[in-house]
Order: sequence, then C-alpha cells, then structure tokens
Amino acid sequence: MLKLLRIAVVAVSVGLGVTLALLGQASDTVVLAQGATSSKPVARRLDSTAAGALLFKTNCVECHGERGVGSDTGPALNTGGFMHGGDDAHVSRNIRNGIDGTGMEPHTLTDEETQQLISYIRSLSGDARDRNFATQYCVGCHNDRAKTGGLSLQNLSLTTIPAHGAVWEKALRKVRSGEMPPINAVEQPEPAKALAFAELLETTLDRAATVRPNPGPTLAHRLNRAEYSNSVRDLLAVDVKPGEWLPVDDSGYGFDNIAAVLSTSPTLLERYMSAARKISRLAVGDLTLKPYEEFYSAKVLPGQTTRNEQLSDDLPFGSRGGISVEHYFPVDGEYKIVLRRTNSDEAINADFTVTKFVPAGLHMVGATSPRDNLKPENEGTDRRPPKPDSSQQRILDLYLDRGRVQRFQDEGGPAGLRQIIIRGPYNVTGRGDTPSRAKIFICRPSPTIGEAACARRILLNLTHQAFRRPVSALDIDPLFTFYKAERAKGGDFDKGIEVALRAMLVSPEYLFRIERDPAGARIGQVYRVSDVDLASRLSFFLWSSIPDRELLGLAEQGRLREPLVLQAQVKRMLNDPRSQALVENFAGQWLQIRNVESVRPDSSILSFDESLRQSFIQETTLLVGNIIRGNRSLLELLDADYTFLNQRLAEHYGVKNVFGSQFRRVAVTDQNRRGLLGQGTVLLVTSYPNRTSVVQRGKWVLENLLGTPPPPPPANIPDLKAAPHGKILTMREQMQVHRANPVCAACHARMDPIGFALENYDGTGKWREEDAGGKIDVTGRLPDGTEFQGPAGLRRLLLTKYKADFVQTATEKLLTYSLGRGLESYDHPTVREIARGASKDNYRVASLIAGVVSSTPFQMRRVPKP
Amino acid sequence: MNILHKPLPRRTLLRGVGATLALPLLDSMSPFFTRVARAATTKPIRLGYIYKPNGMIGACDKSPRPFLWTPKTEGKAFEFGSSMKSLEPFRDQVNVFSGLAQVQGRALGDGPGDHARATATFLTGAHPYKTGGADFKLGISADQLAAKELGKYTQLASLELGLEAQPLAGNCDSGYTCAYMSMSWRSATQPIPVEVNPRAAFERLFGDGESTDPAVRMARMESDKSVLDYVMSSLTRLNGRLGAADKRKLDEYLDSVRDIERRILRAEEQSTSSGIPLLDRPNGVPSDYAEYAKLMMDLMVVAWQSDMTRVCSFMLGRDGSNRPYPEIGIPDGHHSISHHQGENEKIDKLIKIDELQVSMLAYLLKKMKETKDGEGTLLDHSLVLFGSSLSESNIHTHHDLPIVLAGSGGGQIKGDRHLVYPKETALNNLLLNMLDAASVPAVESFGDSTGRLTSL
Repeated sequence: MLKLLRIAVVAVSVGLGVTLALLGQASDTVVLAQGATSSKPVARRLDSTAAGALLFKTNCVECHGERGVGSDTGPALNTGGFMHGGDDAHVSRNIRNGIDGTGMEPHTLTDEETQQLISYIRSLSGDARDRNFATQYCVGCHNDRAKTGGLSLQNLSLTTIPAHGAVWEKALRKVRSGEMPPINAVEQPEPAKALAFAELLETTLDRAATVRPNPGPTLAHRLNRAEYSNSVRDLLAVDVKPGEWLPVDDSGYGFDNIAAVLSTSPTLLERYMSAARKISRLAVGDLTLKPYEEFYSAKVLPGQTTRNEQLSDDLPFGSRGGISVEHYFPVDGEYKIVLRRTNSDEAINADFTVTKFVPAGLHMVGATSPRDNLKPENEGTDRRPPKPDSSQQRILDLYLDRGRVQRFQDEGGPAGLRQIIIRGPYNVTGRGDTPSRAKIFICRPSPTIGEAACARRILLNLTHQAFRRPVSALDIDPLFTFYKAERAKGGDFDKGIEVALRAMLVSPEYLFRIERDPAGARIGQVYRVSDVDLASRLSFFLWSSIPDRELLGLAEQGRLREPLVLQAQVKRMLNDPRSQALVENFAGQWLQIRNVESVRPDSSILSFDESLRQSFIQETTLLVGNIIRGNRSLLELLDADYTFLNQRLAEHYGVKNVFGSQFRRVAVTDQNRRGLLGQGTVLLVTSYPNRTSVVQRGKWVLENLLGTPPPPPPANIPDLKAAPHGKILTMREQMQVHRANPVCAACHARMDPIGFALENYDGTGKWREEDAGGKIDVTGRLPDGTEFQGPAGLRRLLLTKYKADFVQTATEKLLTYSLGRGLESYDHPTVREIARGASKDNYRVASLIAGVVSSTPFQMRRVPKP
Repeated sequence: MNILHKPLPRRTLLRGVGATLALPLLDSMSPFFTRVARAATTKPIRLGYIYKPNGMIGACDKSPRPFLWTPKTEGKAFEFGSSMKSLEPFRDQVNVFSGLAQVQGRALGDGPGDHARATATFLTGAHPYKTGGADFKLGISADQLAAKELGKYTQLASLELGLEAQPLAGNCDSGYTCAYMSMSWRSATQPIPVEVNPRAAFERLFGDGESTDPAVRMARMESDKSVLDYVMSSLTRLNGRLGAADKRKLDEYLDSVRDIERRILRAEEQSTSSGIPLLDRPNGVPSDYAEYAKLMMDLMVVAWQSDMTRVCSFMLGRDGSNRPYPEIGIPDGHHSISHHQGENEKIDKLIKIDELQVSMLAYLLKKMKETKDGEGTLLDHSLVLFGSSLSESNIHTHHDLPIVLAGSGGGQIKGDRHLVYPKETALNNLLLNMLDAASVPAVESFGDSTGRLTSL
C-alpha cells in the first residue's frame, strides 16, 4: 500500500556537511557499504556455516535451489534481502513456522541447527558488511527474479549511483516520501536510516550532475497557438488572437508547448496560410477587400437573463448587461453594425442596424442598456425575465470605444441580445493610420530612398524580428520577389509589402524555433547555447512570444550571457505586461484554470451562470497574476489571506460589502476560503455537472500540488453495493461503501480524505453545511493516521507536512513548461537545486524563475544523436 | 498490413521521393496526373464512419435491457430495437450487425483506460501503446486507408469532424495520451484530431475567400502555390543545417506542403467540372446538441456531393466524455451515468441519449437520400458505418458492438438485414469489406482483421 507521508521531516536544503554528519550517526549499514571492515571472529563462523550447508541441502535445496539461487517454487536467498524479514529472528521464525499462503513449510530444527542454517544462508549473499540499506530493505522484492514493480536493485552498487541515475532517482523519491519500504513490509528501517539513505542518494546524484551536466535534448519547437497569437501581436501590432484560428495543439506532460508533441498537419498548414493572408491584410490594410461579416455571440446560458449590473469594464459605468466585443476594422470605411435579438426559441426576432464610418484598427463595440436604478444590484442570479414596465429596460445603446453611437427603443432590452454582427467595409476611404502600419512602414519611398531599397529595409526589419536572429540578403531576397511580382501585377507599394508579409508568416524560420549546433560539434557534446538562442528561450518562457528589440539586441552583442545583464533582463521581462502569458499559459494549464471555460454545470440545481464562470476565471487569474508578477511567495497560492472579488463572486462566497462588477482586492477573513482550494475555479473543474466529486478533488490535489498522482483505476470497476432500504446516502456514506472494497481502498484512502475536507463546497464552490439531508462531515484521515478538518485543516497540512512536495511539484511544472519537454531523471538534480535556491527567499516566484533561467537545461544544449 | 498498389499512383510517387527533398516540378507531373484521373462516368463510392460515444444500452448480452438495440430475429424483416427505431424509414438501405468486436480495445495487461482504447481501436483494430507522452503508437485507420486511395481523386483526402474537442491539458484516460481520443490515424504515429468548428470545417472545404467565383478561387490558388514554393525552398535551405531529430520534425511540415500542393492540383482540374452547392458559411457553434450535429452532417453531405472528398469520419461525442444533455432533460455527465451500476434511472437516461444519437444518423441518411447523385441518390452510392466501440458501458465490453452499415455502395450491398456473426468476429473484417466496395485496391489485411465478412 502506498503511503502518503514522509517518514522524516524533509530537509530540502541540506549541504554536504550536514549530510555527512547524518550519515555518521545513521547506522553501520551505509558506512559499511563504503568500505569499513567487520571484526567478527571468522573461524567459528566457518564451522557453523559448513554445518548449515548440509542442513540446507536436505531441507531447502528442493525449492530454493543450489546455493539458494532460487527456482520456480522458491525465491532466491542469495540476494541479501528477504521478502519476509531479514533479521535472524524473522528468518528463524520463518524456518520453524513456515509462511502461510506460500509453499514455505514449517521445518523442525533445533535452535543450534537453525542458527547454522541462517549462518549458511547469510554466507550466500556475501559477508554481512556488504549489506547496505538497499540490500537490506529493497532487494527482498526488487531482485532479478521477482522484479517487483519492474525494478531490480540486486546488482546495483552504491558506488556507481550516477551510472544508474534513473533507477536511483526513483528510489530516492520513494524512500524520501516514505512510500518505500511499504508500510506492510516486515522489516522497517528507522526513519533516520531511511533519511540517511535518501541523503546519500541525493548528494551523490546532485554532485554528479554538477560535474557532468546533462541538459537533455532540445527539439525543433513549433509555435503553439498562444505563441502564434502573441508573436503576431508583437511583430505587427495586430492583436486579434489569430492562434485561435488554428487547430488545438496536442498537449503532453500537462502543457501544450511540448516540442516533441507539437506536430504539423496539412490542416494546420492550410490554417497558417489562411491566417497569414488575413493577418497581412489587417496589418497593411487591404483596399481591395470585399465586405464580409463577423458574428459575435453573447455568452449566456439558455433561459437566463442579465443581472442589473455592468457586464464588463469595456461598457460604460452604470450600464446593465449586454455584449462587448473587440473587432479589428481592416480599413477606414463604413461598416454596418447589427444588434441581433432572438426570442426564447433562439429565432431571430429583431435586428437593429447602424451604418457608421469607423477608422481602421482595433475598436470596442458594445451594446447595453442603462442600469435600472430603481433596484440595487440583484441578490443572486435573477432568472426572471425583465419586467416590461421598467422604462430603462426598453433601451438598447450601441457604443463604439465607450462613445454612444445610437440609442434604440426595444422592449426586449439587452436581455434578448444575442449577437453583434459587423459587416463591411463599404465606401473605403483609405488604409488608415494604425499602430500596425506605423510598425511596418518604417520608411516610405522618397527621393532619398528608392522604392526597392525601402521595401528591402521594411522586410529586413520584419524578418529580423520574426526569425529572431540576424538576417541577411539570403532571407530577404525570396520575400522581395513576392513584392516585385505584386508590383509587376499592378499592386501598389503597400500591397507588395502585404504579399511578402503573407509568405514570411508561413516560413518555417518563423513558425519553428530551431537551435543550431555550432560547427564541428560532436554527438553528445554539451555546450552553452548561443545568446541569440537564449533570447528566444527566455522570451518564449516568460512572454510566450518572440524577443523584443532590446533582448535581441543584447543577445546579438553577445552580452546576454553576462549574469548581471541576464538578471536585469529577466526582471524587466517579468515587469512587462507580456509576462501575463506566464499566468495564462503556465498557471492556466498547471492549475487547470483554462478548463473552467469548458465545464458545464447544471445551472438548474447549482448556482451558476456565465458571469460567474468569467468571475471565477478572473479571480484566480488575478490571484495567480499577483503572485507571479508581483513576485510573491509561491506558498501564497495555498494560503493567500486576500483575493480578488466582485459583487457576483462575493455573494456566491458569502462575503459581505463588495458592491459592483469591478474586481478589487479583498482581505479573506474566512480561514476556509484562503488560497486556491477555496476558489471556484478549482472546485468547479473537480466537480461533475450536477454534484461534487471527492475523488476528483483528491486527485487534483495529489496530482497538481503534491506531484503524486494516484495510479489509474482498475480495469473493471466493481459495482458499488446498493444502499440498504433505498436510503439516500450522503457522499461520505457512498464513498465508505466504495472504500470497503480493498481493490478501491488502496488509492481511495489517499484521495478521498482530501476530497472530503472540501465537501463543504458544492459543485460550483458555494459553501454548504448539508448534503443529502445530513450534516457534512469534513474530517479527513490519511492512511498514516493524520487527521485534519475541512479546507483550513487541509491547507495547513499542505503547508507543513507537504510543503516540500508542493514546492518540488511546482518547480517541476515550471521547469517542464520553460523547457517545453517532459522531465527526465537527469533533470531532478536541477529541480532540487532550483527549489533549494528559492527556499532562501521564501519561495518567491522571481527566485524560482531565476533558478530556472540559470539552470543547466535552460542554458545548455546537448548535441542530439542522429 | 499489406497494401498492394498496382498502377503506381502519383501520391505514392510523391511519398517515395520524400526522403530526398527534391520535389519534382509540379508541372512535369501533370501528364501523369491526368492519366490517373478517372473518368466521371460512374459515381464514386463515398465512405462515412460515425462514432457514437460511451456504448449502447441493449447491444451486449450482459446488458440490463436486452433487445433495446439488438434485433430479436436474424435476417430480413427484423424488428428494429427501440433505440434504432428512427432508422425504420431507411430499412431498405440499412444492415444491423451482431457479434462484431474490437478485442484490441481490451486491457490485455495494460490496466484501465477503456475509453481511450475504444476510440483508438474502432477503426484501427490495433492495440494502443499505453503512454501519456509523445511516444504513442497505434496503426492506420480504415478511413485513412480509404483516403490514401480515394484521396487521389479529390481535393481533400478526407474530412474528420466531431462535436467535442480534445481536453486542453493532461492525459485523457487513465494514462493514455489525448492522441488516442482520435479515431482517424494517418499512420501508426499520426492521429488526426477532429475539427469541431463548423466554420473552420466549411473553410477547409471551400476556402475562406469572400467569393466562390471560380476566377477568384483560381487566383487564390496561384498565390498559395507561390507561397508553398517559398516554404519549400526555405525548408530545403534549412534542412542542410539540421540535426536528424529536427529534420524529422520539419519533414512533417514538408509532407504537409506536398499534401496541399496536391490538393491545389486537384482543385485546378476540377474547377471547370464541379459546381459547389450553395451552403451558407456557418457562423458560431450551435449550443443545441442536435442542431450542432446536424450542421456538421450537412457539411459532410455537401463535401460528398461536391466530391471535395469521398471519405468523412464524424464523432458524435468523445468517449468517456461527461457532456450533459440538458436539451433532452439530462443534466448528468454522459460518462458518469454510463457506469449505471444497474440503476434504472441512469439506464433510462442513457437510453434517451442513445436514441438521440441514433436519430442523428437517421438525419444524415435522410439528407443523403434526398441528395441526387448521378442517376440515384447519395445514399445509393455510399457506405456509412455507424457504431460504438464499447457495447455495455458499465463494464466496458469491447465485443457485441452496436454496428450499423447504411447505404447501398453503388448497388453492391443489399439492405434490410440483421446479420449475426460468431461472437468476437473482428470489426476490421467489415471495415475491409467496405474498402473493397469502394474499390480501394487490395488491402489484404490490417490491424487484427482475419479476413472478410462473408454473406454480406
């Protein structure tokens, strides 16, 4: 059975000196393994062993084989480890009594004979001085014959730990966490012994990693959707999230930026081509554009109306409900903006149309109505249809960038508003004056700079940024050919640039991050990546985007490798708004905030609507953003005594005196609501549409916070026994029935207690005291007997006993994300080093990030095998 | 698997030279191309593959409600189980199969993960290698075997649609990577994710130009070709400086470039002959399940009708998904009630979902029957496989699969039969029959097939 608990207080940061001191005290086992000698009288033992050999022949050989090598009927006895206890008392008991449930029968021997036999058996595995922790506690099961868990430690020597890093890293983790030796093993090491063994493994592995760094492979890395969106934004100032036009990226290891998993398909290429066409048109402004229409639908759950409050910060203060969208108007021209209302059957029921001149660029289009001032903002969700007698609700206002364009009289009001449709352009007057054009056209053809020279200058500037490296005529020439061809066909200068841009955006040099080995590099050679490659590693890690001019400039001057320059750049990048990408893409996937968009709770029995969904996302994003971008301690994720709420969310959580739809920082006084585990996002993504799931909540914590995901459920889940007399069972009763089954109990004993502690939160995170008519019991009891109560108790447990696990898990996730590859055993010394470094700064995020940036795998590269 | 190509198709030629990176000039390919293009005297056979998630109540002998799905009698004039009543109007062109299985979906020592395995095996009959990482491995799927051949004649080799995207993060089922939630596999290592956005599917078929005017489309194709040439030359330039692993990554990109070039060639050939039927470009995703499914099916019908592709697959949901069906009064997650533990309330709800999903097939068949295709209807010239890769969801059975084959396959397949095969007959055998009927040349076997179904 797996144990959750660490046997000893874990010292994450143990220097070499401390380790040796521990080793000294621990026991003879480890020290002996390092070469000390035994002082037992040798002669007497030989006699006794020889006698034992005879006894062995008559009693044991049949099953255990000659010299105890083992056979099909009996395990090997020459490994130094025993499945049923290895000290003399255990062995002698097993000889005399046999072992139930095995072929091992009782043997009638005198005490002396038993001792002789034991002495012989011991001689089979060499002298006792060779027995170390592993042979004593592990090899009994993990030997070449039994291979329990697919692992044998039988022939591994503690003198060559780094050579078998993968195996020992696994062993280290299991011994450290107390999962091994298993709690039901007869022979249990003293905690200090286990700790000393873990320390020995850790120090040895870490030292080896410093001497022979292994940064692992780096693969050509296709930009994922978020990176595509952001890089287009930073390159061309076209902020239309074009990544969303691409197919969903495959994810691995919990993230969608894993190089090995990101593949390319014809569908993807088609979308790249189509996206490149749209983006270059929007960026340059296409005068030949024919009118087209875009639809924006309101996010509303069927049957619900809007609350009497401002829907978003984009809509004016004092408005109620409605829709606001950001639309990129491709050129200066007229556009028809249609507000579409539908009836309860979702059939179109009225269109309100305005034709208006709009200058090119990104604009906010919104539709809303004035707030009904007769009533305060509603308590809870108002599901009733709006009252027709309220005059304010017969008004529908159309806004463009917060300026009111037109007021419609409409009895439906914003409640029935389902779509904003934007058609156009008509009567185009020009390409307009947009940030994109300013960014692209760094020169205009003039008497001082000829057309061709200007075009080349523009393309040089753009490819330099897009390809993230110094560029040459070789890069520009093929793009210039597109420009020339378009000019020859009669397109103007700008159109020529647009067409060249379209090709550039599909170039593999733009879409793939490719690191090139230096000339003459040997396979397997480890080297420091170039400054230019490091610049991209940094910007894709912190911004999910391309490097900006400053970063790339420093890299091209060869200065990024200077520690002070690098440090200053990391700081600058974290302060830049672009580092919000780390919140959205790293935390969004690690903590599954992204999944909130796709869950569909049953709003007929749970308090839920779209505004609440968005509020949940907003709350967690703000909290995580504050921690990451405000350089707070990582531990605040679990126990922040503040959060960010608006009225809707405050009401949902039962927090008083928060009014209005704007989010603001609010102190959390309720011990239960502190940190992520009290937030709607986590509670929602771990629930079923119509009920909570203690299992999913427990699994979420084990997997995402503690890094010990439970193994998958068994192949065929046995039926839960039906409830007696048709009684409605509480969730706890149901789960107790479940855990009575030993097959289930092994894992559910770890997951369920955690989930039960959170049972006071319903499927959308609302506080409740009762479930199925009974008072909810939030006591959790772990397999080792640790008890805790409710969310606050769980939180305290995570911050004490499991703090090191949490920090290590978070570090692993961050490193995985930053490298865009799954971690391997040789990365674990790096993980420990980063965590140790951050511990000195109370796990502030900037120290973790600094640790990642300066780590071996982030700074270096190994020349891959062919 | 052994595929014998007799006349060397152009596609194979393209693949063959893949290793050298020197793509033959497209123009020089044209004569060869024209020779392969087949005269449009007879209407081609279209193939459809429709997946129903989370099993079917009443398909398995262990079902709590037998005969809800499986007809009681064998052969002609059987009575439809109540779950498939909606197929009654198409009886003459519908066959129901019993006894088929995808046994590779079973654990076979790999532990849990039946939903991933069910999806992965449905069209491959191959046992997925259990992994949550990037080293997934399965086998080519029947629709892609068909696409390799039939795709020679159309702009798109195949179309893969669905109603639920893969989850955004993590493993999808008990240690199986989300890649296994795709049922279409171009090769053992290339899953094809479903397209769930109707508008994107539309644009994939007909492009995103503002006009369907052939002249505009041709100009667009010319410009696409020059962009592809540029990409190709960039790849060539890059390739000389890459390590082997990076080369493999970029080869995928190269393959994609070739695939699209091929498509453009097709389009140019077809531009004079085929008219594209009128269909408004869809905007947004309908929130109602049936409406959404119907919209995607409309796209399939148009794709077949205009011969943009001859192979479509469609997933009515993701296996193991907890999507609720509030439209029909079911707020519970589909997967969670599919483990019904014999509770009547849950079973009743499951039956309603089964009926809804079967009625979506009925919608498709109706639409196909109404669509003229040469001398007959689209349904006359198609074969549409419908089914689930689990039968009894409560206990994850991978045999007694609920399978229906609709369409006449150009008069090759008679309808109105309940065909009963020995238990655990490989579904792959039927998939081979379908490939034969669509004149996909000589696939001797694939996955765990043991031959062809007889008396079909």
